[in-house]
Amino acid sequence: MFRLAVKSVRHNPKRLILTAIAVALGVSLVAATQVFTNSLSSGFNDLFGDIYGGTDIIVEAAPNAEESGGDPFAAAEGIFTPEDIDAIADVDGVDKAIGGIQVPGEVLPADYADGSDSDPFGGGGAPSQIFNWSGEEAVDQATVIDGRGVENNGEIVLDLDSAPALGYSIGDDVTVATGTGVATFELVGTIRFGDSNNLQGATLAFLTADDAHTLADDPNYSSVGVIAEEGADLDQTVTAIDEVLPEGTRAITGEDKAAEETEALDEILQYVDIFAIAFGLIALFVGAYIIVNTFRIIVTQRTREFGLMRAIGVTGSQIRKMILLEALVIALLASTLGIILGYLLALGFAGVVSLTAGDIFGTLTLPLDAVLWSYGLGTLVTLIAAFMPAIHASRIAPMEALRESATSGKKSLKVRNIVGAAMFLVGAGLITIGLYGDFERPYIWVGAGAVTLVIGATLFSAQLLSPLAGAMRPMLTKWFRVDGKLAANNIQREPRRSSNTAAALMIGVMLLALVATFTESLKTVVTDEFASNRADAFALSTQGPIAPEAIDLMESVDGVAFSSSLGFSEAGYDGMQRSVAIIDPETASDVFEYPSDPSIDDLGSGEVYVDPAIVESGVDVGDDITLEGPEGDVTVEVTGTIDNSGQGNFWVDFATGEELFGDVPIAQTMLVYDDDIVADDAENADDATTVSEQTALVQEALAEDYPLIALAQPGQLEQLANTFIDLLLGVISALLGSALVIALLGVANTLLLSVTERTREIGLLRAVGLKRRAVWRMITVESMVMALFGTVLGMILGVALGSALVLSLSDFGFDGVTLPWVWLIVYTVMAAIAGVLAAIWPAWRASRLDILQAIAADG
Amino acid sequence: MTITDTPELAASMRLGYKDYGHGEAAVRALDGVNVDIARSEFTAIMGPSGSGKSTLLHTLAGLDRLSSGESTIADTTITSLNEAQITEVRRKYIGFVFQSFNLIPSLTAKENITLPLDISGTDVDPAWFDEIIGILGLKERLTHLPAELSGGQQQRVAVARALVARPEIIFADEPSGNLDSKSGSELLSFMQSAVKDFGQTIVMVTHDPTAAAYADRILFLEDGQIVDEMREPTADKVLDRMKQMGH
Repeated sequence: MFRLAVKSVRHNPKRLILTAIAVALGVSLVAATQVFTNSLSSGFNDLFGDIYGGTDIIVEAAPNAEESGGDPFAAAEGIFTPEDIDAIADVDGVDKAIGGIQVPGEVLPADYADGSDSDPFGGGGAPSQIFNWSGEEAVDQATVIDGRGVENNGEIVLDLDSAPALGYSIGDDVTVATGTGVATFELVGTIRFGDSNNLQGATLAFLTADDAHTLADDPNYSSVGVIAEEGADLDQTVTAIDEVLPEGTRAITGEDKAAEETEALDEILQYVDIFAIAFGLIALFVGAYIIVNTFRIIVTQRTREFGLMRAIGVTGSQIRKMILLEALVIALLASTLGIILGYLLALGFAGVVSLTAGDIFGTLTLPLDAVLWSYGLGTLVTLIAAFMPAIHASRIAPMEALRESATSGKKSLKVRNIVGAAMFLVGAGLITIGLYGDFERPYIWVGAGAVTLVIGATLFSAQLLSPLAGAMRPMLTKWFRVDGKLAANNIQREPRRSSNTAAALMIGVMLLALVATFTESLKTVVTDEFASNRADAFALSTQGPIAPEAIDLMESVDGVAFSSSLGFSEAGYDGMQRSVAIIDPETASDVFEYPSDPSIDDLGSGEVYVDPAIVESGVDVGDDITLEGPEGDVTVEVTGTIDNSGQGNFWVDFATGEELFGDVPIAQTMLVYDDDIVADDAENADDATTVSEQTALVQEALAEDYPLIALAQPGQLEQLANTFIDLLLGVISALLGSALVIALLGVANTLLLSVTERTREIGLLRAVGLKRRAVWRMITVESMVMALFGTVLGMILGVALGSALVLSLSDFGFDGVTLPWVWLIVYTVMAAIAGVLAAIWPAWRASRLDILQAIAADG
Repeated sequence: MTITDTPELAASMRLGYKDYGHGEAAVRALDGVNVDIARSEFTAIMGPSGSGKSTLLHTLAGLDRLSSGESTIADTTITSLNEAQITEVRRKYIGFVFQSFNLIPSLTAKENITLPLDISGTDVDPAWFDEIIGILGLKERLTHLPAELSGGQQQRVAVARALVARPEIIFADEPSGNLDSKSGSELLSFMQSAVKDFGQTIVMVTHDPTAAAYADRILFLEDGQIVDEMREPTADKVLDRMKQMGH
């Protein structure tokens, strides 16, 4: 039976080519992701090995203690005093214990001072990593290449790639900026990190311990590198060190640490995998429609063959088995092709990423996971899709073999409609439950609902397509004469097939329209956000908080009226770390319209406004609550609420902030200029100082001492935000691209099969005088109608679902739905073009048919 | 055979050769055929299977190309035309009736009949249309799809389609081959009266002596050559002639 299936596939491979490609494309997406994340993981594994592997034991803050917000580049606060380090050094088995401190700052390029084109976000690569030089290779993980290591205060070494990149050579003065100002050091040497200076683009610098302490404004160390005595048992030494450590810290061997970091990264990469596999599944889901269509058509075309088999005694279940085996053969071939394609895809993508981000990949291997997932998904989807046509084939009666022509029965669409409508409603219900119900895993409900809804819409669309094609018939006849009429007839003749084909496209376009609706509405939110903004410029710091002295400096610049600063930190409340925003009530409402009740102006000392999340946990206006800050516990009265989710759970003024945190870390300072500073597009812009010019003046004033503070105007920020949103849309569109390509293949595939089916008909049309060009046009019109139908249906569904999503997120500031008109028009035009493209192969075949053979063909 | 080009010819072929395949496997289907089809005549082409009668019909009709030689339709030499031009000639001057599968399944009988006119964008002459429909007895069947018609009705629709554009010549390939004898003789009578009453030219390929007897003239083909011609045939005469040919 298996041999018969293979023979059947080999006998007529053409009709299965596109089907196989569709499956292969979906599988390739799955395989590519797995290969890609796997090699990324092994690349980082090597990197962590470089960082930690050389050190015997690392002593650091315990991971369950206060986290630094998950930013791997943020400098940890010093927690080890010099006495702690002496204590560690005295532990049995420890040869040396060397304290490490990281300076929160940045090595500036040699020409930073004349970098007048102050693009505040342009240089946003990996930041600098500045440490103290220990001279111990095992601790520094760096080897001197040129010059020498740091010996005296006032000296610095840079990694061998960054020194020339930043424009420094040995002997130059290197400028290092921190939140409190700038300092210069003499470059005495270059170093190589690990074996290959694999820094992912970051700058690595070392200073003396004294200089590092001064710059970091911290007498303590953030970590300790331990070199064990020769032959000492590392695990025993770790246990021994643990006994002398302060609370909230731990010792761990370098090897374990590297493994731990890799594991943490793998966890993140797993989400990337899931994300990409989701898109792979979408692609396969679309592919499934094509498989269903292909097998349905093949079964129809082979009705006589199956009838004959039944007549000579083959059972229905054997026929069913044979078709499923055929599907299996295709699935295995296609999955293999998909894995190869996916590997190449990952290879290409890794190559492109390496160009910009450096060599961050390990060798690209094909993990077993990728192979199993690919074969598993590819086979499963193909078999499920082939199941219905297989059952259909097994029901063919022996009598069918004797029938004149293989016309498919004119079965009523009634059952299909009822099932379709029911599935549509159930799907919508599931989505609603998922969005509004209170369940553990809402996305399972939403996902299942979406799939059910889409299948329902597909089934029901046959009912729509049929009268639509009928309605379009006069129009198409008028435009394209007989070929237009025939195209409409052909669509109408096989409403199931046509609507399945259109549905494949519908799904892709639906998702695109959904995302476009969401992002367009998001843009409106951003625009509204900035519209309620009255500041002329924002000051942000690229490293650490903004120093109070810098704020004074900005306010002292001529033309600056006043500033309002916003700080963020975390305080304990009810056993959890919660975000706290610190705001200046006197100036806050002059720069931004905060959605608070009452006005933010009324926020007094010892009072707090809370956001909806806190209100939901049972806090009411009038309650007294206690916040636990590093400086002490403070009890405040809740006097208002603020709707601004996401920025802070609690909003307090600076006086309360200082009680909680001491120095308030200022994240953002908003500047308001004098009234005589005019807008850039004002009429008298030539005579007066404009906002842009004023911003440049302030930036200039900051340049010398605070080069890390960058100014931006609200318009620039809005543009930046919109750029990110567009990027998001772009990435998702690209990932959906494969689904759309598959859908197009589906249109081509259906047409190709129906051209085969209509061979005699086309031959006859040619015989009575239809020109090749007209045959081509007939197929193209058919293709375009199906493509446009799928697209329009997809857009309607997508916009509807997108609107539902946006409305359900009204808590997050979405006021209303903005329809992505431009995109909708773009999609429509692209669908029409796609229809023309998809028709090329089938139309070519149809128009090239040999008339005599076509007429004689066994229909 | 005298070679005289007169305007009375609807179609002609001179020294028509048609070879299939190459080398050892080469088969000569037409071996220097000269034939004239006079206007308003019902010509039947007969011969044993493999004699090349279908090839002769296909090459005369411009569905297939001669390997060498020349053929004309209504004074147009089609052997030198390209594919698009030949299509144009077929559309303008030729009507077809095949043995089966003559109709587009998705079009109604009426739409199938007017198909050649629709393709060329010509208006239907309603009087002519009604006359054909009346003679062929299709009045009640016009809105039916081919699947809803009997075999005889389907072939009559095909004849109506061939007649509606008043082509220079109609080629029929075993038109009654799939019909029972009653429907078959009805159809052939229609074709005969189309020639007599409207001056239509028809060329028909058949292997059935009874069918051939409806023609004015029969050409006998053997091994790719025209071996005989018969005027005013009867079924018995044809049968005798066929027996002589050893079949």
